[in-house]
Amino acid sequence: MAVTAEQVKTINPLVPIKGKVIKIVQETPDVKTFHISTMDDQKPFDPMPGQLGMLSLPAVGEGMFSITNKGENHIEMAIKAVGQLTNALHEIEVGQEVGIRGPYGNGFPVDYCKGKDILFIGGGIGLAPVRSLIMHCIKNRDEFGKLTVVYGARSKADLCFKEDLFENWPQVPNMDVFVTIDREEEGWDGHVGFVPAYVEELAPKPQVTILCGPPIMIKFTLPTLQKMNFADNDIITTLEMRMKCGIGKCGRCNIGSCYVCLDGPVFTMEQLKDLPPEY
Amino acid sequence: MKTIAKAKLPLVLELLAKEYKVLVPAKFEGVTRFTPYQQDVELALEENVIMPPKDIFFPQTEKMYKFKAKDKSLEIEEYPLEDAMQIIFGIRSCDMKSIDCLDQVFLTKSYVDPYYKNKRDRSILVALSCIEPMDSCFCTSMGIDPQKAVGADIQAYDLGDKIGFEAISDVGKEILEKISSLLTEEEVTLPAVGEFNLNADVEGVPEKLKEMFDHPIWDDISRKCLNCSACAYVCPTCHCFDIANEVRGEDGVKIRCWDCCMFDEYTMMAGGHQPRPGKKERVRNRFLHKLRYFPERYDMLLCTGCGRCVVKCPVNMDITSIIRQIKNA
Repeated sequence: MAVTAEQVKTINPLVPIKGKVIKIVQETPDVKTFHISTMDDQKPFDPMPGQLGMLSLPAVGEGMFSITNKGENHIEMAIKAVGQLTNALHEIEVGQEVGIRGPYGNGFPVDYCKGKDILFIGGGIGLAPVRSLIMHCIKNRDEFGKLTVVYGARSKADLCFKEDLFENWPQVPNMDVFVTIDREEEGWDGHVGFVPAYVEELAPKPQVTILCGPPIMIKFTLPTLQKMNFADNDIITTLEMRMKCGIGKCGRCNIGSCYVCLDGPVFTMEQLKDLPPEY
Repeated sequence: MKTIAKAKLPLVLELLAKEYKVLVPAKFEGVTRFTPYQQDVELALEENVIMPPKDIFFPQTEKMYKFKAKDKSLEIEEYPLEDAMQIIFGIRSCDMKSIDCLDQVFLTKSYVDPYYKNKRDRSILVALSCIEPMDSCFCTSMGIDPQKAVGADIQAYDLGDKIGFEAISDVGKEILEKISSLLTEEEVTLPAVGEFNLNADVEGVPEKLKEMFDHPIWDDISRKCLNCSACAYVCPTCHCFDIANEVRGEDGVKIRCWDCCMFDEYTMMAGGHQPRPGKKERVRNRFLHKLRYFPERYDMLLCTGCGRCVVKCPVNMDITSIIRQIKNA
């Protein structure tokens, strides 16, 4: 049975339940999306957009990942191979049994975004958390205004979720998708250039912006957004820190007196201004 | 007040040990710490123990669950929780306050830590007052009364050659009933507490630190730190932990163990990003956590003035002088 965020607080929140990988999608050379169900083909839990899950190969380790989408009977995590656990995850095959616990964290302010035009800005694997909210908006299309996605990656091969970017999302009513890559390459006739400059060039007029990507992209996109006269609480991003417990006890993911696992990972620019710049 | 001669205290412990696991401050393998009571135990009641009581509730290493991983299959099994009640005798006021701090972390803010809660729920706490502060003590500076602990089931009083007992909670009353045949009822006057060698004025420090993240003081404070983490291991309130595996073939155990914000690995992320890259950032985080972040989150300081870090630091870092530096900055 899928458990809710409230229910997980009444069971041992540090012990994963057993799940299985039912599908693996190779997104880029170093990113795969894992679809995970319980052993009886249920969603392991019911995450809100932007929430996190702790995925483990217990003999290797456990890591916190954003949940990029949920289906009727599964959750999806898009994972880049960068370390010991993630490299091991890239070796597994469909049918692998894994440990899974969650959902953790605050998630995106879905109610606040209702009725508004939303600009989603993603860079590289940073589209993974943003995608959970995009998918939510698409499933509940009437509840949100215009959706605009600006997404960039280093190269064509490094673009995540290509099927969504080029086939699914452009067909959604009142939704624009703009994709860019860092450098010219053969077989690419789309936009070339960095995300911050592309956003400035497109000059969209949304009411709220969801921004997630490498720190360098966020650093250079913020001045652009400020030029567009966004209020600080209408610029929303996600942060990551190393995590172990996921429930605000083990200490390491603190930024000031906030724990990213519990109080984050979603923060507005207004909240970030009150936190030490230590992330 | 019910009292007993100090020399006869083992009779009380003996009696309680028939029914409960009783942990007492004692010298064990050269280190003073809380140790299960047995007849030949070397009681250490003159000074506070060097190892704080936190490991009773939050062991240095603790098994969380076991698993079996073979090919694609995985089995996860939890360990049964213990239910035997235990008595911890002789916890000083500073360490009683540290248990209050740990309770905030492990039992509040949305999630309850079941491992901690289990041990906490089956523990009966007997606090013991102090008369003569050690050279490194400064509990009164942290708002703690060395003669009156928070959260005790029984408050015991050091009366010189006697020990007095006052039941605070219902379970404390029950325990006192059980040992009442060994105790004498008499009028007592609490002895005055001696002078403190160390002092710190924390008034306004959490608020002042809000504006001091980029202050040059942190370069100065952190310069001599070795990032050895001895301070965190002897600290009664430091509670950070790591989660790791011990794997033998197909069988594995998930364990958690004490960790420390002084270590590089503590915040190092897969892919190499390090949000606190040097000792300045780590030392700053440690002291901001104790004096600003924890008060912001839980409305209390994360220092009890026990002085253990002052004693054990190999380069003589002293939190009272750091507080003074902050006040004077």
